[in-house]
Amino acid sequence: MSFTFTPENIKTIAKLKTRYPKPQALSLPCLWMAQYQEGFISIDAIDVIAEVTETPAMEIYRVATFYSMFHLQPITKKRVMVCKTLSCKLCGSEEILAHLSKREDVLVEEVECLGSCGSAPVMQIDDLYYEDLTTQKVDAVLEQL
Amino acid sequence: MNQNIEIIVDGQTYEAEENSLLIDLLIKHEIKVPYFCYHESLGADGNCRMCMVEIVGQKRPQIACDTLIKPGMEVHSKGEKIDTVRTNILELELINHPVDCPTCDQAGECSLQDFYMDYGLHTSKINVQEKVTHAKHVDLGANVMLDQERCVLCARCTRFTDKITHSHELGIIGRGDDARVSTMPGRPLSNPYAMNVVDLCPVGALTSKDFRFHQRVWFLKSAEAICQGCSTGCNIYIDHNKPKYRDDTVYRFRPRRNDAVNGFFICDDGRLSYKALEENRQRQTLLEGQEIETDAACSHLKALVQQHQGNITVIIDANLYTEEITALLVYAETIKAEVTAPLEFYNDANFEDDLLKSAQCAANYQSVLDLNLSTQAPDKKGLIINFNYPEQFHADTVVSFNTHQGAQASLIFPIASYSENSGTLTNKDGLEQFSKKAVTKNSPSPTILEWLERLKQ
Repeated sequence: MSFTFTPENIKTIAKLKTRYPKPQALSLPCLWMAQYQEGFISIDAIDVIAEVTETPAMEIYRVATFYSMFHLQPITKKRVMVCKTLSCKLCGSEEILAHLSKREDVLVEEVECLGSCGSAPVMQIDDLYYEDLTTQKVDAVLEQL
Repeated sequence: MNQNIEIIVDGQTYEAEENSLLIDLLIKHEIKVPYFCYHESLGADGNCRMCMVEIVGQKRPQIACDTLIKPGMEVHSKGEKIDTVRTNILELELINHPVDCPTCDQAGECSLQDFYMDYGLHTSKINVQEKVTHAKHVDLGANVMLDQERCVLCARCTRFTDKITHSHELGIIGRGDDARVSTMPGRPLSNPYAMNVVDLCPVGALTSKDFRFHQRVWFLKSAEAICQGCSTGCNIYIDHNKPKYRDDTVYRFRPRRNDAVNGFFICDDGRLSYKALEENRQRQTLLEGQEIETDAACSHLKALVQQHQGNITVIIDANLYTEEITALLVYAETIKAEVTAPLEFYNDANFEDDLLKSAQCAANYQSVLDLNLSTQAPDKKGLIINFNYPEQFHADTVVSFNTHQGAQASLIFPIASYSENSGTLTNKDGLEQFSKKAVTKNSPSPTILEWLERLKQ
């Protein structure tokens, strides 16, 4: 198998293992670690996680496909997640979305509520929220990346 | 041990074990209740929500497959309220269903189709212009084809690979209306029981590559038979039909429930063994390769028996029915022949597994042992009369009674195969089971018993 967790991740896994009654509970933390490490979740990574969590590989694969935040293919473009729920819609997320979809250098996705209604409209890139968006602000943010 | 208690279903009193599943009672007493996901061998999953029943004292309808039987329970399995609930659930199942019954192989034995006739038959409230589409022809491997659009996500197939074969090839991936059954990339379905998922599938999502498009199921006739793949003696249905202008043909084997032997399943080797049944059949009576009249052949054999008096061996195949073996023992005595039923050929340790397959690959292996027959290779080299045993022996003269071609013998008689004949088999646990005749050919080969009758005259 071509995937191995980094030494730091292996340490984290060992630490987390003591926290849960079953190793299966490590599925999500391990998937996150694999995704941060490689940028996506490969089948090799799923096999390693299956071994760590003592769970059939199919189960890990199912979890990885269930959550839209996990990628099973490498992503070449920057992934921009735009909130599609009520507050953001009312505050103009559709305009943001229309603006973003004109750009070809980003992968735009509509996602469920990002939980930041007070600062709508909101988008998420990697682990960061960009709030109170306007089309100018969007351009400025993407410029800096 | 749970106590037996009484509960009321639709005004009738039934006795049931406390804390057993309500749906088991309904199925046992043939009280009609629709369900997709529940299966006796896989247990309750509660995902399809079709088996709703009304329980007096409970606000909402409950699913029968996840309801434990309690004392004093009163259940209504029908009524307007329940029908409405079932209709609504069915409507949801049908939103994205392609309704391609005319080209679907499951038509005629499809739960979805049946339930639609019971609870559907209406114009849907839900007006979807474009249905969610999925892959229609996914080759899962092991002769199983998947149509993701027809799937109702009951998870029977995935639970089968999880709980029964423990091979975990199948899973439901994605979510919402994107959810579908799939294998992992590059890891096809591959276990020796894989084709059972085709029987488990309540709809036409999983079909057998071997059977699909060959025959409409309502044309098939089923005979209750026993699989002859090994000495386990799995109960099967031989599904056969005689299409117009053609001969009676076996189209598939299906497992037949028998909790004492095979439960609900059979192995794929057994399931596909029907093919070998029809191929290369011995149809003619041959003397030195030339076809001869059956009467002449019989007199020829009688002459041979006279000629080799005291130097005759009768070889019995361990796949023959017990009735045939017993008759052959009588015949051997009348012609003063030695009898042997070699078993070495049938031992295959590689075939054995923990589920159903036995290392003794002959259907009536146990009978041969019970009858204390000699299992040695024949030592007398005068006349050998071989009754369908697949190995060849050398002797001055060899006479052979065969279902299939390939025997090296100076005189060859064709005999009926097990699907064209009925009889008793003893399985490895000593259980005697009767296998019924399925196929009647246009020009049937005589059975061994019929040949022996002719030889008497």
